[in-house]
Amino acid sequence: MPGERGVLGTFGDPGAAARAVRALRAAGLRVDAAMPAPFPELVEALGKHRSRLGLVTFPGAVTGLCLGVLLTVGTSLAWRLVTGGKPIVSVPPFVIVIFELTVLVGSLTNLVAVVVGGARGAKRQAAVAAAEAVGDRIAVFAAGDPAAAARLLREGGAEEVRDVP
Amino acid sequence: MTTSTGEAFRSIEETVRATHGRPGPAYWIGLAIAGSVAAFGAWSYSLIVRTGLHWTGLERPGMWGNLITDFVFWVGIAHSGTLISAILFLFRARFRTAVYRIAEMMTVFAVLTAGLYPILHLGRPWFAHWLFPYPNQRGLWPNFRSPLIWDVFAVSTYLIVSTVFLLVGVAPDAAALRARATGWRRRLYGVLAFGWKGTDEQWRHYTRAYLFFAAFATPLVVSVHSVVSWDFAVSILPGWHSTLFPPYFVAGAILSGVAMVITILIPVRRAFRLETLIELRHIDMLARLVILTGLIVTYSYATEILLALQGPAGDPERSTFLYRMTGPYAFVFWTMVACNCVGPALLLWNRVRRSTPLLMGICIAVNVGMWLERFNIVVSSLSHDRLPFDWRIYVPTWVEWAMTVGAFGWFFTLFMIGMKILPPVSIAELKEEAAHASHEGAAHAG
Repeated sequence: MPGERGVLGTFGDPGAAARAVRALRAAGLRVDAAMPAPFPELVEALGKHRSRLGLVTFPGAVTGLCLGVLLTVGTSLAWRLVTGGKPIVSVPPFVIVIFELTVLVGSLTNLVAVVVGGARGAKRQAAVAAAEAVGDRIAVFAAGDPAAAARLLREGGAEEVRDVP
Repeated sequence: MTTSTGEAFRSIEETVRATHGRPGPAYWIGLAIAGSVAAFGAWSYSLIVRTGLHWTGLERPGMWGNLITDFVFWVGIAHSGTLISAILFLFRARFRTAVYRIAEMMTVFAVLTAGLYPILHLGRPWFAHWLFPYPNQRGLWPNFRSPLIWDVFAVSTYLIVSTVFLLVGVAPDAAALRARATGWRRRLYGVLAFGWKGTDEQWRHYTRAYLFFAAFATPLVVSVHSVVSWDFAVSILPGWHSTLFPPYFVAGAILSGVAMVITILIPVRRAFRLETLIELRHIDMLARLVILTGLIVTYSYATEILLALQGPAGDPERSTFLYRMTGPYAFVFWTMVACNCVGPALLLWNRVRRSTPLLMGICIAVNVGMWLERFNIVVSSLSHDRLPFDWRIYVPTWVEWAMTVGAFGWFFTLFMIGMKILPPVSIAELKEEAAHASHEGAAHAG
């Protein structure tokens, strides 16, 4: 949370960071992390639930599908012009346009969702986000008992431990 | 920690940063050649715009020639990026990590090239916007039953989705590079990073979104070249009207795309000193993909020819295939077979596959063969339709050749500029691999 007090430790090794995260969580502390890559052991140690991005992306794809149906079927019915002796609503060729629009709108919704979700995530995890751990360091932020957090981070092999803010 | 993990991370970043250093004379010479070729192609095209299509060899019934061949060829080239980044991601093929960014860049630039050519082919390109879905003055919308409209939707969607896929992949790397960048490059990476801070919540959304992008892109990549193949297959022309076309086109597209990736990777890894990140084993795995798709293409050729030859004497389909194999375009046909069937088969030998000059030569031959395949499909069928009095040989003019070669100039100009701006490998994924390797090493040592 923005302005939240806690302790920040930096690690160079994902394995050490994962062990420290487990110890911090076992001590009842809330933990956030920032890392240059999604290291599986660290992600697992954080134990956070899977992103619910699909709840935005899936309706986006369905919207694309509906737009595709509206565009092809709707415009064909708006002016019933027979072309090539084919039915006014020619399902097989329309499926192509509908499919492309499903993928297009679904992908664009997915993009908006990941950008907005990421921005909100960075804001919510402002303490660890400020560490800019995008290079060669992993930042672990523990909120709660500062003394216990600092001790556990040092025991876990943190290279640097400091109070935040 | 392990210092080795941190060192590996720093080394990856440094290697990527070095590719963005001040370009040497070789780079400028390469860029000047590519730019000049593109400019000459553009000037040649201006002749058509100024004075008309008489500069081309197009004449009834052969109204599709080099430019449509270029379109189909470049759409095919664009396929490997999505194959390598999305499909191999879903299959958890780890070798893709080192090569997929270059393949994705290649995809975006190849679609940008492909998308130009149907417009350049139009007699009046200033009316190209008529293809877009909006009602005209009389309230009429485009005919959604037309394959040309399917192309507009398929190629536009593919361009947008592959660009988004590329940029989303770049975001964590841009954040890493921004830290030590200065000037315009720092501002650019700031934009490309999309506010990336690397927090666990950002990664949770990112990894999920990436999976969804891959899931969207996988059927899309299959659909795009299928749609392009329907430009031909829904007509009743002998040599085009075939249900084999969609898988045949997709396999051919992947063959040409992967061959182009190898053709580019071999010089790029040396010129930009990426040998430590893009290893020979990665290229070897791509060469195996060339073998696989080469075999599928060979099977498709054999099926198409054998089915046509089973027809009775005088059957238009049989006549067209005999014309392709023995007529004035026989040289194109047999060169295509040699390049696309024999070339990839030679890679079955480890010695050939692991020899960089031989591999490079075969991949260039495959690209030549795939361009000829598109030419063979587009041109020979139109030259030999169902009406014998209508038969006519199409020969491209120098203007059309200039535009065909200009496409390569345009593509390589974009690619060379892209190499100096975007990270040519995925820094984040390589760091993940480095951490994994470090742990495996420690476990073995323990």
